[in-house]
Amino acid sequence: MKTLKTTLKAVALAVMGTAAMAQADTLKIGIAGPATGPVAQYGDMQKIGAMMAIEQINKAGGVNGMELEGVIYDDACDPKQAVAVANKIVNDGIQHVIGHLCSSSTEPASDIYEEEGVLMITAASTSPTITEKGHQLIFRTIGLDSLQGPFAASYIINSVKPQRMAIIHDKQQYGEGLATSVKNEVEKAGIKPVMFEGVTAGDKDFSALIAKLKKENVDFVYYGGYHPELGLILRQSKEKGFGAKFMGPEGVGNPDISKIAGEASEGLLVTLPQSFDQDPENQKLVAAFKAKGEDPTGPFVFPAYSALQVMTDSMKATGSVSPDELAEYMRGNAFDTTTGKLEFDAKGDLKQFSFVVYNWHADGSKTAVK
Amino acid sequence: MTETSLYLIQQLINGLTIGSTYALIAIGYTMVYGIIGMINFAHGEIYMIGSYVTFIVIAGLMSMGLVSLPIVLLIALIIAIITSSTYGWTVERVAYRPLRGSNRLIALISAIGMSIFLQNFVVLSQGSRDVALPPQISGGWTFGDPSVFEVSFSYMQLLIWLATFLTMAGLTLFISKSRMGRACRACSEDLGMTNLLGINTNKIISMTFVIGAALAAIAGLLLGLYYGVVNPFVGFMAGLKAFTAAVLGGIGSIPGAMLGGLILGVTEALTSAYFPSEYKDVVAFSLLVLILLFRPSGLLGKPEVEKV
Repeated sequence: MKTLKTTLKAVALAVMGTAAMAQADTLKIGIAGPATGPVAQYGDMQKIGAMMAIEQINKAGGVNGMELEGVIYDDACDPKQAVAVANKIVNDGIQHVIGHLCSSSTEPASDIYEEEGVLMITAASTSPTITEKGHQLIFRTIGLDSLQGPFAASYIINSVKPQRMAIIHDKQQYGEGLATSVKNEVEKAGIKPVMFEGVTAGDKDFSALIAKLKKENVDFVYYGGYHPELGLILRQSKEKGFGAKFMGPEGVGNPDISKIAGEASEGLLVTLPQSFDQDPENQKLVAAFKAKGEDPTGPFVFPAYSALQVMTDSMKATGSVSPDELAEYMRGNAFDTTTGKLEFDAKGDLKQFSFVVYNWHADGSKTAVK
Repeated sequence: MTETSLYLIQQLINGLTIGSTYALIAIGYTMVYGIIGMINFAHGEIYMIGSYVTFIVIAGLMSMGLVSLPIVLLIALIIAIITSSTYGWTVERVAYRPLRGSNRLIALISAIGMSIFLQNFVVLSQGSRDVALPPQISGGWTFGDPSVFEVSFSYMQLLIWLATFLTMAGLTLFISKSRMGRACRACSEDLGMTNLLGINTNKIISMTFVIGAALAAIAGLLLGLYYGVVNPFVGFMAGLKAFTAAVLGGIGSIPGAMLGGLILGVTEALTSAYFPSEYKDVVAFSLLVLILLFRPSGLLGKPEVEKV
């Protein structure tokens, strides 16, 4: 039996080897995230960042004599579809993936990649649990909720100093995770939230919740979740004369929230990765994005770009595309990227990542606070 | 008044508004069920299409420089009703009429298929993102001492209540007084017999779908304006809630749809008010189970007589 298995393995390897050689001139990179569904905007950010990186890398001569080709997969931010996408990527013989985007999609997909030997770098999933399973091939080029939560909390404690604070979340892995982290931190500093409640993602009517916030005389609300719900909460709060200050994570920080909430989005506080598009060193790229009619200001555009830089720099340094060798190299080295100098820890997370608090404006723009 | 009672009043206002909208959509389910005994699962999608058309027309007229709000709303309403009714009519013609003689389950599957088709059709033609419209009708009344608790009741909420009430009253009159309405009731009692007596039942059934779709378009306009946001997925949840309301009130009964919608809306608002709001769907649907256990035909429904 054992010999049979070994023979089979050898045959399989041989077949894979020839397959790899046959298509040695192009290297396919999977880009997985929502292209449809309510949070497709974020998928677009990741996509344009990754596609721009592929374009630039190819222009500079490709990697190890190969040209890169980006293949888009749509998981609609749905965990079930993410699993299907991951299986499809494995079946398509792709060994390098940028994605997924929503933490709840990345988590099940990453198990498949790890098992099937696919290198995955997410530019957007921030839930800490993704890298806590001891996976070897899973990395990320974005900060964790476990960094962002305490960062938001310290701003609340030191600058907002709310009298009666409420925390609302959308009961999803990302939103509730952040909300819980903020709650734990502010409680340590002696601020006891008067409310900690979940809403249902996709709901349209928040009037009952707003009346409750009003009754509790809440003056500050932290929201863990995405923009469609917070946009409606802001809009309905304004209509109902509820004037508390709101704060949210990068999941709410895109211009669509201003389309939904209109004037009610003025003064919203948002924690975001620092604006890499403002970095003087990235201005050539910003111009390249604008020339294609793409918006480089989204929080995941440059992390996706640098994920590809990390991947291809490792390929060049090791002269290999083997996910295992690349992962080993990534853990031991530092990378110069558009999002700064990146170093990974043993879990595959960034050693350092900084967030900034922004003041959101009704026209969808933002200015840094402090 | 004390804070507790003002708060209760506010939550009742909220609940009645949500409930009215459920009721408007629920009528479409209840009318179709009353006449041909099938559940038109694509109805929520018709509502969603009504919302989209409203948004497109309002945005279009505004960009053409038309500023008079009543005229804009009227034009949007008319176009939304025409478009939705066309969809309602076509859905019946294409997906249900050829299956009318067959097993109920087959028509149900066809309805679910239609719902998925329409949803994806809108995703592909309009994109899957939220489309937003700035508030058109803002303002309202507030009462109660601001230092205790200020109750707000917006013009938009009043409009939803009025529109729901007037539509319901008009429909009830139509069904009970007009010739067409009498034909409708005859169909609902015995479709085969009505046909034998020389009434064009196909026409009546088509008309039922058209009326249901027109009401869904009104709901689409009102809710579109109230929430200011629409995406291709709103029809599913709204349809599910409206269907629940119809079953709660007694499916097949028009006052039942109204009552069911209001009860469902108020239950949701009061649950969010006094318990963590995560529990609102749990409580609302537990209520449905309880009512169906003790009154299987719903609050105002007639006990079903097996048709031979």
